[in-house]
Amino acid sequence: MATLPSILIAEDDPISGRILERNLKSWGYEVAIAKNGNQAWEVLRGPTTRLALLDWMMPGAEGPELCRRIRALNKPGYTYIILLTSRDSTKDIIDGLEAGADDFMTKPVNFAELRARLQTGGRIIALEDKLLESQKRLFELATRDSLTGIWNRATILRFLEDEMAHCDRGGEYSLSLILIDVDYFKKINDTYGHQVGDKVLSKVTAILEKNIRPYDKVGRYGGDEFLIVLPNCSLYHVAVVAERLRSAVEKIKIRIEGESLNLSLSLGCASSECFRRPNSDRMIKESDGALYKAKQAGRNRVGLCAELKTPKDAGQIKDKESKDNKKKGTPRAPEQK
Amino acid sequence: MLPNKNEESPPLNRAEALERVGDDESFLEELLTIYHEEFAEKSPALAEALANGDAKAVREIGHYLKGASANLSLPGLQAAAWTIEKSGAESKIEDAKAAYRVLLSEYERLKKFLGK
Repeated sequence: MATLPSILIAEDDPISGRILERNLKSWGYEVAIAKNGNQAWEVLRGPTTRLALLDWMMPGAEGPELCRRIRALNKPGYTYIILLTSRDSTKDIIDGLEAGADDFMTKPVNFAELRARLQTGGRIIALEDKLLESQKRLFELATRDSLTGIWNRATILRFLEDEMAHCDRGGEYSLSLILIDVDYFKKINDTYGHQVGDKVLSKVTAILEKNIRPYDKVGRYGGDEFLIVLPNCSLYHVAVVAERLRSAVEKIKIRIEGESLNLSLSLGCASSECFRRPNSDRMIKESDGALYKAKQAGRNRVGLCAELKTPKDAGQIKDKESKDNKKKGTPRAPEQK
Repeated sequence: MLPNKNEESPPLNRAEALERVGDDESFLEELLTIYHEEFAEKSPALAEALANGDAKAVREIGHYLKGASANLSLPGLQAAAWTIEKSGAESKIEDAKAAYRVLLSEYERLKKFLGK
């Protein structure tokens, strides 16, 4: 049997409140009690209450006022509201429904009728939950890469566009990108098959996710290409992150039929601080150029965008990272600028 | 004083009240105890509101007693409280005072009926 939703009784009359509480509990509902409108509001604004019986007239906030507030709050998970009142004119009913109530019952309440009406409310809540679940699944399908579970190309590019808006405001804000290529991935696929290729991509994904900050975004840009968007991150710091990623992947080995497969990454970094008027196309183009240079230089390395003296800076960063690792044992995210 | 039309009928419709509380006699007794406590608090407040001509308070207390009486199937008390609420809403304090006297009389009848 499905669990019944918890229900709020907001009623200042203790007799009516006690009768309602007793009946609702006997029907299997978990009940919360409020003796005035203000207490009711504290319960209603929380996440657990999905069904509410609100008296029209109460001290503090009255029933219709609470209906208006909860609809304006627009909280996730619909709250089904039944207004209880001794008012029964057509105008009262219209006023109550227009305030946001879903149903209306006159007091004293007929309990068989109330039970049936609560079941209706429960069905509507269950339908909404199903709809939200479907929407969530559709969202996942539309935005996630089905193999790795990270953001897909369209979504990571949208994140990039959104983050570029912060750069437009000027100031000290820097946005950085890392474009990543799995070295010799085609050869891995051709030699060991696509299942092994998929395993490699999943393994690399896990390492990337583990070694970036919670608010960085990683997406699958192409077959074996990944794109990481790093908000509020300078070129220096993105280079540190990229080196950490490179180093982490270099250390892993994948076992295939008794053989040990070594992996490595080539990474290209670009930062908005390098451009007078940065935009997403330019950023991707520059990180792609930096990636190309890293591959040309022999792979398994980090390339920085053209505006910096790449070999010298990259060397310094790599040296610093190695020292940090020796000191602290494990790599960690650099401090923000 | 307005004639009390309910004098011939019992002040408590026990069958109806029991149906509302799942035929639980002890629960009904518990609710009637709450009613007496509430009445003891609201009645003097109503008398004061009537003496001060505070129509809003008269309406609110009348509304409250009407609801409580209806829940326990106390038709005479419910009717008197309804008149008090309505008179308060229309600022007819004298009508409310007359209905208050009926309310008190109905309450005495209820107490007698319950052996209090």
